[in-house]
Amino acid sequence: MTYENVKKEPLIRVAKRPELSSKKAMLIRFSSVLVALMIGGILILALGYNPVSVYAGIVEGSLMTPTALKATAKIAVPLLGAALAIAPAFKMKFWNCGAEGQITIGAIASTYFALYQVDNLPTPIFFAVTFVVSAIFGGLWGLIPAFFKARWGTNETLFTLMLNYIAIGFVKYLRIGPWMDKGQMFPKIPMFSKSARLPDVLGVHIGWIIVLVLVIFIYVYMTRTKHGYEIAVVGESISTARYSGMNVSKIIMRTMFLSGAIAGIVGWMLVLGTNYTLSDTTANGYGFTAIVVAWLAKLNPFVMVLISVFLAVLQKGSNTIQTNFGIPASASEVLTGLILLCMLGSEFFINYRFVFRKKTVGGDD
Amino acid sequence: MKKLLALILALVMVLSFAACSEEPANNNGEEENNNGETETLTAENIKIGFVHVSDPSDMGYTYNHDLGTWKMAENLGISEDQIINKYNIGEDEGCATAINELIEAGCNIIFATSFGHGDYMTEAAAEHPEIQFCHATGSQAAGSELPNYHNYFTSIYEARYIAGVAAGLKLNELIENGTITEDEAVIGYVAAFYFEEVISGFSAFYLGARSVCPSATMITLKADSWSDPVKEGQIAQSLIDQGAVIISQHSDNTSPATTAEAAGVFHCGYNSDMSEAAPKASIISARADWSIYLTYAVQCVLDGEEIATDWCEGYAEGANFTSPLNTAVAAPGTQEKLDEVAAGIVDGSIHVFAGPWSGYYVWDNTEFTCAEGEWVEESETRSAPYFGYIIDGITRLDA
Repeated sequence: MTYENVKKEPLIRVAKRPELSSKKAMLIRFSSVLVALMIGGILILALGYNPVSVYAGIVEGSLMTPTALKATAKIAVPLLGAALAIAPAFKMKFWNCGAEGQITIGAIASTYFALYQVDNLPTPIFFAVTFVVSAIFGGLWGLIPAFFKARWGTNETLFTLMLNYIAIGFVKYLRIGPWMDKGQMFPKIPMFSKSARLPDVLGVHIGWIIVLVLVIFIYVYMTRTKHGYEIAVVGESISTARYSGMNVSKIIMRTMFLSGAIAGIVGWMLVLGTNYTLSDTTANGYGFTAIVVAWLAKLNPFVMVLISVFLAVLQKGSNTIQTNFGIPASASEVLTGLILLCMLGSEFFINYRFVFRKKTVGGDD
Repeated sequence: MKKLLALILALVMVLSFAACSEEPANNNGEEENNNGETETLTAENIKIGFVHVSDPSDMGYTYNHDLGTWKMAENLGISEDQIINKYNIGEDEGCATAINELIEAGCNIIFATSFGHGDYMTEAAAEHPEIQFCHATGSQAAGSELPNYHNYFTSIYEARYIAGVAAGLKLNELIENGTITEDEAVIGYVAAFYFEEVISGFSAFYLGARSVCPSATMITLKADSWSDPVKEGQIAQSLIDQGAVIISQHSDNTSPATTAEAAGVFHCGYNSDMSEAAPKASIISARADWSIYLTYAVQCVLDGEEIATDWCEGYAEGANFTSPLNTAVAAPGTQEKLDEVAAGIVDGSIHVFAGPWSGYYVWDNTEFTCAEGEWVEESETRSAPYFGYIIDGITRLDA
């Protein structure tokens, strides 16, 4: 104890926890979901429904029928893909909030081929070309903010975020203008012909296999390659990276190209595998929800698989309860929001603890 | 390591594309076992599915269509649990999922209510010939040549014309009061999109207003959505800021009505009686009675008869009508005039799209003139509207 220490300790303060055992951490995470379900239950009760049957409705509506299961998978696959896309950027502490736009640009690139070139190309070539082109365009869209960041130190969060709206605005232009469905005279882009649609494997478009391979790719890339190591160093400290002779600008741009390219591939599978057309909502918020997935999974690709499936179940299930119980869309969004909030909040309690002021002043820490 | 990764990726690509070429062969044949048993359909065992673009809380389009559903159920003695509603289904892939879930639930007839559901209905109808598909506002059934695929709509332009007359009389009253000058008789129209269904509606409304108030003009803005309560309200406000003294709408929510009321201007509604949402502003609403078609279509399925490919009935049959006049807001003498116009529409002496007017075709800007004594027919060759002229006097502020 020192004499200068005259300031009174606050009643409650937040302190960093010493490393928690993984068992305890899991317990906290699990109970956070329970707390969320309880708060959600109160909300459902207040709306005049039975929480148990509504929760059963979520599970039933997302997993229990073949169509529901497929629809859930079709949500989980692009969500996982988008989370994998942003993982390298996030590891580098480059906050890529632009996966939504990168997905959209990839989708636009594929759509051009699906509308105008599908008859000129043999099917395997068509899918290969669209795959590559979507990846390149998505990558270039991701490269723009990386270039500005590397060159002039612009804020990448805002930059990537704003590029989303430009990408979606571009879709609007195409939808109302040059790509409008001339047959229907309605401002929408036509449905693709059957030959421009990705084949299904086990009832879901082939994109799910590609995404699972990407899980392994990202895991290996981030943990076992020189690139992955460089990303980690830049993420921890740019000065350290510079000092050790790394070309930081190059690493930032290379990583964002990769990030955008994977997002572009997600756009490819969304238009060719799920929607069979391009619309303003093609990216459907996956680029944003992916941030939650990546965060909750602590950038671990294998954990991302579980989280994306869980969120897909929530999303599809909450659609179903709107239908079956007539619960307004906004209320079921509040419910999913609550569950996410509690899950993210639990990370706080895993990393920090509350310390109450002790009665006697002791320097026992 | 890099080489290994490249190799893995290349392998996956090859494998997936190999799968592409094999797959289509065994795609069919999944759902064909269900066809064997043929149980006769009755009012007690028929299952009916609906795909709605929003939910009844819009108090507009979906609310009104839902009213039709329950009236149909009452007419035919069908119980609530035989009807499966899918609400808030967008005009995207979610629509295909919703339709598949309805099929899975055993629906014998499926209705979809929004134009953009059409592509998904067409595909489902081709894949499931044993199920009847009925699509409101759409135009693909006839072209598809599928016997189990049908379009329906009402000639709502008639009710819109009548509502337009009420709006025109209100403009006259405002001019006589000195509240506005003749040149300020501006109607603001919240349009969902610019294509025939919407254009037909606002043209009918405008011609109705102009038939009694010759100096009336109209300005429009589009929401680019059927149902977006916030945007619809913002557009109404923008139209009011640009001089509109009466607001009308082709969009699903009541926010244009409440915005008009808050701004102290007047309003004519669509789908539901919007004077409930805005008693001080909303004069009258053009409405459809969907129960007439729904009852007809379901009855056809029960009787084993064919449903018309294109169905469109009008004011005379009660398929569209106007809500009771809000006499607290309407100009004096409006009811008498409306009765006269309605009688003219029923007996055929009034044609909604009658000249004289001039304008241009929305898709290629070619000019068109409809002389006095002539008129353009609507909804004769198909159920969905196809009137696509922008009449002089109507200005699309965002076109």
